[in-house]
Amino acid sequence: MEDSPSHLSLVLDLSPTQWHLCSTGENPLPLNAFLAHLLTFLNTHIASKHENSLAVFAALPGKSEMLYSSTDPTPPEVTDTADSNTYQPFKALDSAVVNGISRYMDAVDRNAPEAPCALVGALTKALCYINRLNHVPIDNANLAPTIPKAPDPRILIISVSPDLSSSYISLMNSIFSAQKLKVTIDVCKLFGPDTVFLQQAAHLTGGSYLNLEHKEALLQYLIMTFLPPPKLRRYLATPTQDKVDFRAACFCHKRIVDIGYVCSVCLSIFCSPLPVCSTCRTKFPIKTLQRLNSSRPPPTNGVGKPKNGVPTSR
Amino acid sequence: MSGRHDKNYMDVDSDSGGSYIADDPDFNEGGARGTKGKGKKAVRRKETFKGKSKEQPYAWEASYTRSWDTVQEDDTGSLQNSVQDLLTQGRRRRLLAPAAAIRRTIIRHLVILLDLSSSMMDRDMRPTRFDLMLEYTREFVVEWFDQNPLGQIGVVGMRGGVGERIGEMVGNPQDVLRCLESRTKLEPTGEPSLQNAIEMARASMSHLPTHSSREILIMYGSLTTVDPGNIHDTLDACVRDKIRVSVVALAAEMKICREFCDKTGGSFGVALNEGHFKDILFELVPPPAQRAAAAAGPGKGSTADLMMMGFPTRLPDSSPRTLCVCHSEMKSEGFICPRCMAKLCDIPTDCDICGLMIVSSPHLARSYHHLFPVKAYTAVMELTPEERNTRLKMCYACSSPFKELQKTTITAPGLSPLDRYRCPNCKNDYCADCDLFVHDVVHVCPGCG
Ligand SMILES: [Zn+2]
Ligand SMILES: [Zn+2]
Ligand SMILES: [Zn+2]
Ligand SMILES: [Zn+2]
Ligand SMILES: [Zn+2]
Ligand SMILES: [Zn+2]
Repeated sequence: MEDSPSHLSLVLDLSPTQWHLCSTGENPLPLNAFLAHLLTFLNTHIASKHENSLAVFAALPGKSEMLYSSTDPTPPEVTDTADSNTYQPFKALDSAVVNGISRYMDAVDRNAPEAPCALVGALTKALCYINRLNHVPIDNANLAPTIPKAPDPRILIISVSPDLSSSYISLMNSIFSAQKLKVTIDVCKLFGPDTVFLQQAAHLTGGSYLNLEHKEALLQYLIMTFLPPPKLRRYLATPTQDKVDFRAACFCHKRIVDIGYVCSVCLSIFCSPLPVCSTCRTKFPIKTLQRLNSSRPPPTNGVGKPKNGVPTSR
Repeated sequence: MSGRHDKNYMDVDSDSGGSYIADDPDFNEGGARGTKGKGKKAVRRKETFKGKSKEQPYAWEASYTRSWDTVQEDDTGSLQNSVQDLLTQGRRRRLLAPAAAIRRTIIRHLVILLDLSSSMMDRDMRPTRFDLMLEYTREFVVEWFDQNPLGQIGVVGMRGGVGERIGEMVGNPQDVLRCLESRTKLEPTGEPSLQNAIEMARASMSHLPTHSSREILIMYGSLTTVDPGNIHDTLDACVRDKIRVSVVALAAEMKICREFCDKTGGSFGVALNEGHFKDILFELVPPPAQRAAAAAGPGKGSTADLMMMGFPTRLPDSSPRTLCVCHSEMKSEGFICPRCMAKLCDIPTDCDICGLMIVSSPHLARSYHHLFPVKAYTAVMELTPEERNTRLKMCYACSSPFKELQKTTITAPGLSPLDRYRCPNCKNDYCADCDLFVHDVVHVCPGCG
């Protein structure tokens, strides 16, 4: 771990509803207990190598926010007087993250319906940030080769929400840009069922996906699985990738499907055969529709697939 | 021609191939437009060059330039203006691009024909034609798969008078890159045979379904071809099979190449220098605009269709070993057909048991940014006093402070003096770097996403 510096951007899913569910029920993990584990993990990352860098992004209902970055560690809000007993970088990090989170959690209107969490917004911000750090300033490009400020970059997503199928396309776009930038995406699923799309994110970028069963051992799992930079992981016995589910979201109802009807012109996915592609307006041959309709698999039990046409809104 | 279309003819090995072909009486019949034989070849090429160099500068006449050199200092010695121009050009290109999605045939099959004859060792392109072709081909493959996610690429080499299969038709960019990796294995030698190589490519595409395109891309540095038969028969066969042939010539125009492109609807270009080579090659990356059904008459000729596809589950190496249905082998990893639960080794494929087309949904998703592009941001020219107080002082995406430009240096239209580019949808302001990055790479607006 001493060998090469690495950059970590953390994306934190802060859905108030999901965190409420996560802190109740069986095997609960309240937000503040989680934060204690998380901050120790982040401090370990910063301390394990002098050149390591860190940024923390919050995915909040309807918006995303950068809470902390080690290149600009003191946001104006942090006005606490210096505490000589604490290592300053830790203090700046801890207070930025904790203050940031409580500021948003306090502002939440518990009576209003909750907007979906801007996970993709936070993820793209993390990518833009990494791109900015690694972008050689044009004025210096032909001078001495600069060392990238975000070496061996990775993004760790801590997720508590289910798949948001309405953001399928934008999430996939972010995953592909992470691939291009050679950014590894790690996923730690703290609460709720596996998310298909985040599994794909980890798989496609060579990251790890972990669905945490023993929440009390969170810190241990974080350190074992996500602390080693991606370059070193192949030498360590980090948990191997489990099954990857390649299901997609249909464009018509944002439903997750394992068999879809795909427009050959634009590759839009639909959950049932339709005569005209709603994305590119291509008309499909009647013969095809007849053939597809007659060979459709019977609706799966319970969660019935929609009958032809009549998309239901809401 | 078709009578000779057998295995022996296609796979003549290189030692017997040279003499066999040279002795062939009708070897000059079709491909002879460029030259008559090996001996005359060098002379011929020189003549062509002499004639041409008066009109157009050749790569070897200019000093070796890197792309960086195209950014030049202005009178005051500042790089800023030129850099701004570059940024602005990118932005203007986007603004001019049509907002509506263009119909494209996205499932493509392409065989790349690489000239690996000795003429490729020519240094009129630096370091050599061969090295440059390899480098650009690798970049081309990456970019091509990015824009043609369900496509497949095969690679055929032309050397020693035969066509040589270098890479099978595959849908995974990494596999294609692997077969282009070893420079030594591809070492140029002997003469190229257009006909042998095109026939080999044609054979590998004969079984393809109708809703996919069939394309051949030829990168050709020679001015000759040694062919066993009449290459016009091959041309007719390509037209019949609806194979689109495009040629990027590195030396000069060869009539037969031009004919192939014209008759099959491909494009033809002669590279004038390194940069131009890359430009004309990369013009072949975007899917050819779907020919309107109108061209073939109403209701006819439309290749559009709705396809049922299955999205599998991938099993890890650690899963218990079971039998695959494609090779009947015991293995751990594989993909499970969602309809019949058969285990398959590679995707995309048709399930061997139930016939369902099995694809990886991420493959499909690679192209969705074409369908839903991020709207162009508008350059903010000034802020009201009120906005100066309320708006963020830093880029909404990367959190770096906006770097306002000096009033005197502003020349280009579409460039914000405040370094602020505003999303028409979410109304957030982004810096110039993030504007480019969002539109060229991420394809998601951080404020809208
Ligand atoms: Zn649907
Ligand atoms: Zn369509
Ligand atoms: Zn198999
Ligand atoms: Zn099957
Ligand atoms: Zn920015
Ligand atoms: Zn926006």
